[in-house]
Amino acid sequence: MRARGGEAVTGACFKGHAFADRENRVKVVMLACASVAILAILLIFLFIFRESLPSIRELGVKNLFFSTDWRPNVADPKAGHYGMLTFIWGTLLTTFGAMLISTPLGIGAAVFIDQVAPDSMARVVRRGIELLAGIPSVVIGWFGLILLVPAIARVTGTSGYGVAAASLVLVVMALPTITTLSAETLKSLPAELKEASVAMGATRWQTIYKVLLPSAREGLLIAVILGMGRAIGETMAVQMVIGNARAFAVSPFARTSTLTTRIVTDTGEASGIFRSALFAQALVLLLIAMVLIILIRVISRKREAA
Amino acid sequence: MLLSVGCGGRPETADDSIRGEVKVAGSTTVLPIAQEAAVEFMEANKRTEVEVQGGGSSAGITQLKEEVIDIANSSRELQPGENDGTIVDHKIAFDIIAIIVNPDLKITNLSRKQVKAIFTGKMTNWKEFGGPDREIVVVIRDQASGTREVFDKIALGSTSDKPVWCVPSAIESASNGVIREIVGATPTAIGYVSYGYVNKTIRAVELDGVSPTIENAAEGRYTMARFLHMFTQGEAEGPTRSYIDLVLSDEFQEEVVGQEYIEVKKVKRQ
Amino acid sequence: MKGSRADKAATVVFWALGLVTIALLAFIIIEILARGFLTAINPKFFLGKPEAIKAGGGIFPMIISSLYLAALTILISLPIAIGAAIYMAEYAKKGRLNNFIRFCLDSLATLPSIVFGLFGLALFVIYFRWSYCLLAGAFTLAILNLPILLRSTEEAIKLVPNTYREASMCLGASRWTTIRQVVIPTALPGIMTSTILPIGRIMGESAAIVYTTGLFIRNIPISPFDTAAPLAGYIWYAQSEALVPDYRQIVNGGAALLLIIVFAIYFLARWAGNRYQQTKLLGPKMK
Repeated sequence: MRARGGEAVTGACFKGHAFADRENRVKVVMLACASVAILAILLIFLFIFRESLPSIRELGVKNLFFSTDWRPNVADPKAGHYGMLTFIWGTLLTTFGAMLISTPLGIGAAVFIDQVAPDSMARVVRRGIELLAGIPSVVIGWFGLILLVPAIARVTGTSGYGVAAASLVLVVMALPTITTLSAETLKSLPAELKEASVAMGATRWQTIYKVLLPSAREGLLIAVILGMGRAIGETMAVQMVIGNARAFAVSPFARTSTLTTRIVTDTGEASGIFRSALFAQALVLLLIAMVLIILIRVISRKREAA
Repeated sequence: MLLSVGCGGRPETADDSIRGEVKVAGSTTVLPIAQEAAVEFMEANKRTEVEVQGGGSSAGITQLKEEVIDIANSSRELQPGENDGTIVDHKIAFDIIAIIVNPDLKITNLSRKQVKAIFTGKMTNWKEFGGPDREIVVVIRDQASGTREVFDKIALGSTSDKPVWCVPSAIESASNGVIREIVGATPTAIGYVSYGYVNKTIRAVELDGVSPTIENAAEGRYTMARFLHMFTQGEAEGPTRSYIDLVLSDEFQEEVVGQEYIEVKKVKRQ
Repeated sequence: MKGSRADKAATVVFWALGLVTIALLAFIIIEILARGFLTAINPKFFLGKPEAIKAGGGIFPMIISSLYLAALTILISLPIAIGAAIYMAEYAKKGRLNNFIRFCLDSLATLPSIVFGLFGLALFVIYFRWSYCLLAGAFTLAILNLPILLRSTEEAIKLVPNTYREASMCLGASRWTTIRQVVIPTALPGIMTSTILPIGRIMGESAAIVYTTGLFIRNIPISPFDTAAPLAGYIWYAQSEALVPDYRQIVNGGAALLLIIVFAIYFLARWAGNRYQQTKLLGPKMK
């Protein structure tokens, strides 16, 4: 490789500088490539917003976003009711349940990888987490459907479908994100921090609890927020176990729907204002994701300032 | 939902006197039958292209009247406003909707009033029916389903002006197969499926003392039944005619239609 | 003493947490493979034609759809990712524009894939009138995967030592010539390695493609404008519609096969990554 690079450099010496004009053109092309990201975000916003507009206009913000009355009409979309509050709540509830388990589990596993485990074991867990992240969501959903749902049904005497099953499935989705990013944060802490703590006579647990975790606070928070993003956006795995009901969930074993599952279940059949209402649900997801991103920006700026 | 059936892989010996394109759309209940027929039709007639889409009965009928498609699949009769006298009805299957429960439940008969109370959520515990003290798990079809439309209309008395809705906690399933699966696996579940899906994993209950059988439905005693249709604009001609003939052929009726529904010729009603 | 007891307890707890994650992974893998492995490796299944409502269907067109979709997606997104990565690594200065591009990339990386799916449906399927097809899915996934692909490409470019650039520039080469003749050739193995992992992700993606590529086909898609049914989407469709009587077996087999494919891609990526790093560390083998 090095030999080839050297050759190229010598070759370039003779033709290099005559192309100042081309230089600028190249830069513009590269900038255009980088701007695809900007274009994509703008287009996504534009199209999701454009498609949700009819339902916002016809139904009004209150009936669309803040109502639990979901009674769509496939044959005559205008005759239906499309309040999505039930599903916003479903998304929040299932995500909350998932974070309750995956936050301690994920950060704990990260501490294990970074501080507790011997090198070989740490590598096994790290690889395992990477593999877990790679399992397609339909596979995890199927796993949930054939194992988790019957198990919950047996234990609780309910149908097994519902918020609890969805949250457990989401733990699997959020865990890799939280663990990987937390482990990275812990690893990036200066070694002196730990050494100083141990030198002062602190035990390993005290070092972790009193020194490492507090200093990694912002990074861990970001890890949890990104894990939350995964949970909020997960679609197929949740759709397979949540029961796809339109009831407002009050119990962990209640059947309901989330924003993502409603969209994927109904988009195939919906037309007119019904479809537009589903795009409005995607718009809410889009806004939630933006809030998370901005939150992360604020936190990381604070971290850099500190 | 668009389901396209492509071309290719047809036997060389096929008859190519029939050629042309047939566009089919409408009821999702009829969709699998229409799709299977399309596959067999294109394999037998290699100069033809059959495109089958879903969309629901109403959408299909609208598209047929706009002459966008050749055949509209429907799981309901034409409504008075839809028939201008030019649409020809081909009945391709007969379907009975059976109310099913988990076999663990010692329930064999429900009155229409009870069915309505259960599915609309007025009664939520099996102990009110002499069963165990457990929540009733209601399993229904998705909104686009013709089966759900017929069930809502006949069992719940739903009309387009005054729709009756099932209990919000009802599990929505995209197919008969999934409903049977859930009802079979959940000891406290009740649902409804097409007649062809009734088997030993679940129990079909009597409605007002009448069991869902072909005889009872054909003679009008069991009313939760309907024909499945293929509508054409005027008499079907060319490849459209041949395609419908294939659907109505004894072989196809027996092997495909009979798997899930009841062959048309077995039903003498009308 | 109290400290040491807490220390021991904490060690046990952390070991337990670490092992739970491994146990979870093992449990999922074992359950999925135990149910579907035999079906997955049966040629009648993975080389077979799917059935619409009869039993005994296979999934060959679905596997082809997945591979085709992955190839198209990489073909679309890789040139853009390389161009963008070169800009970010070689040209971009710290500033508002650079910051905004990063913000957009982060946003793309965080948006739920179903949002991409609906976007693809609205833009490619409906607005462009492409109908459900491979190309609509590929463009959707190309945008979805852009942040990951860009990041790994950028890292590969940043790994090229600055001394290479300096050597080239001080010999009089322009920046572009340096990039074209020095930076890209040196970074290329790294870039290629970094495209492997996203292929796994593309093949496992379902929410973004069910309303862009289609869900069910019986024949192998030929043109990019053909309707397709990538395996992950078909697994969801098969279990949700359950039209075929043997759908459980098909979903078990499909899930096992998908898991095997995705893991194989993961290990391939690891292997290629390690190999690449070794050659970087030890220097090239001389011819």
